Amino acid sequence: MLFAALRDMQWRRRRLVIAIISTGLVFAMTLVLTGLANGFRVEAQRTVDSMGVDAFVVKAGAAGPFLGSTPFAQVDLARVAAAPGIVAAAPLATAASTLREGTSARNATAFGAPAHGPGMPQVSEGQAPSASNEVAVSSTLGKHIGEDLQAGAHTLRIVGIVPNSTALAKTPNIFLTTEGLQQLAYNGQPMITSIGIIGTPRQLPDGYQTVDRAAGVNDLLRPLKVAVSAITIVALLLWIVAVLIVGSLVYLSALERLRDFAVFKAIGVPTRSIMAGLALQAVVVALLAAAMGVVLAQLLAPLFPMIVVVPVKAYLALPVIAILIGLLASVAGLRRAVAVDPALAFGGP
Amino acid sequence: MADLSIQDLVVEYSSAGYALRPINGLNLDVAAGSLVILLGPSGCGKTTLLSCLGGILRPKSGAIKFGGVDVTALDGRELAKYRRDTVGIVFQAFNLVPSLTAFENVMVPLRAAGMSRAASRRRAEELLTRVNLADRMKHRPGDLSGGQQQRVAVARAIALDPPLILADEPTAHLDFIQVEEVLRLIRSLAEGERVVVVATHDSRILPMADHVIELAPALASTNRPPETVHVNAGQVLFEQCTMGDLIYVVSEGEFDIVRELADGGEELVKVAGPGDYFGEIGVLFHMPRSATVRARTEATAVGYTAQAFRERLGATGISELIGQRELASD
Repeated sequence: MLFAALRDMQWRRRRLVIAIISTGLVFAMTLVLTGLANGFRVEAQRTVDSMGVDAFVVKAGAAGPFLGSTPFAQVDLARVAAAPGIVAAAPLATAASTLREGTSARNATAFGAPAHGPGMPQVSEGQAPSASNEVAVSSTLGKHIGEDLQAGAHTLRIVGIVPNSTALAKTPNIFLTTEGLQQLAYNGQPMITSIGIIGTPRQLPDGYQTVDRAAGVNDLLRPLKVAVSAITIVALLLWIVAVLIVGSLVYLSALERLRDFAVFKAIGVPTRSIMAGLALQAVVVALLAAAMGVVLAQLLAPLFPMIVVVPVKAYLALPVIAILIGLLASVAGLRRAVAVDPALAFGGP
Repeated sequence: MADLSIQDLVVEYSSAGYALRPINGLNLDVAAGSLVILLGPSGCGKTTLLSCLGGILRPKSGAIKFGGVDVTALDGRELAKYRRDTVGIVFQAFNLVPSLTAFENVMVPLRAAGMSRAASRRRAEELLTRVNLADRMKHRPGDLSGGQQQRVAVARAIALDPPLILADEPTAHLDFIQVEEVLRLIRSLAEGERVVVVATHDSRILPMADHVIELAPALASTNRPPETVHVNAGQVLFEQCTMGDLIYVVSEGEFDIVRELADGGEELVKVAGPGDYFGEIGVLFHMPRSATVRARTEATAVGYTAQAFRERLGATGISELIGQRELASD
């Protein structure tokens, strides 16, 4: 009776279109939220990758090389660099900073690294900073080479632009020399938060440990953990909303078609055929909504002031989830259809 | 050749907790190639009987045999097959699926029976042509007249060429021109080996029947003198769901008026003593008894026909009778 189910969908096409658009919007929002949560990780990953190091050496017990670091004296760099297996080592430092522009201020994450060593990202314009009063900034700041940048009490000269370098929910990154960062954040004290290394250390001096790039990414993500959890909860709620929209459509359709089902049963149509028809309706609605959701997500994502990167696996999973949602949503309708007494067909108008 | 045989059929269902038996001990034998009309007023059990014949409702007891198959002994899957292959049903108010065209409505049983799409289309086209709807195949039910819808329903019912056709009030909702078309069609179905059973309260269609079954037969209403009945304690005067033509007035002793419950129990409605009367509604309105009356003690009651009872009531008329007004003593 699949043809009857498809004809019924044509018959109720207005309601169907509304349900597909509604569910498609919900799917789109879910995709965008998934992309938003993933965007936090992507920007952190880009920042860490741009540093060009294999791993970070941090003080033992430190949670990470950036925000969870325990600053230590730069003098230990030589001991670490001499450890077997390390090809190159660079003193790195990180600190939260505030950029002022007139009366307004905005947050930035400041990284310090040697001008030509590991840890300094590639610039798309200009050059890497080589003096303590020079800085390379993220292109998202909208600044130009040669302009001054007021970071805290320090005035820095912009010498390079790093493309789309952000972390912590699109907070722009700025890159200084290690000395420049020490002046900005540590009052000129020769302190660093990690040592970026190339190579694989076989043994480190006591009191130090290695963390990989993934740990570095997680360190940058830690402040956003609550936000990611909240987004995940909202995404889950949206999946439930999708189930309810498709479910109510199928259930209403089943309620309105009780007489049809009774007639089908009375003329010998197996109940499983009726159920298959209803399930087909739910799956078709969910799949069309998923297709619409993908399109809408592309349109909605740029409207968000944060990085939205929908993972490919989310796109691949969406049709599968949509089918599951369709089947789950049709349960109430199916139960109603199964319970229909064929004697109802003998009723009058 | 498939004959229809109904033996001692009892259908019982629960209504507000009380046991109702719209069909109580029905026997019927119909030869193949017959058109049977089930005649009776609303609520007399016509549709209930059709439902039983169609394998949709299971009777409480008795047997329905069609072509040697005991329909009442079939299980769920066998019943679905029986309904699909053996029975064609023309429902009251047509009951076509509104989202499907006439053509597709006829295709439903064909596809359900596993026929290929192409073969179903050919058969549906042939059937709709047979009922003179070749030019209305692509129309949905809402775009067809009542008579046209009924013809689509007939085409759907005979799609798999079933040997038993059931039609529930096929002339309801139709004007006289449409009735004529449908009657010709239904009569033509009974030609050959097919059994056609039509439930109706429309006595205009009786001339086309081979058999007429009155499901609420009118009892002889000839007036006769009152009958005095003596009963011993525990003896039943009349049973619930049976027909009767006497209204009883208690002379001596007491009677329990009880209603049979769906769960097999009884509910005491009233204890009738000298001067009380009972059984009037069923007699006056030609309906089955709504309760069982059993002597509580050794008792005597006088049974009156409706006319005799009216005469006894005097000029006050039937309204006071229904109101259970106290009777004047003889």
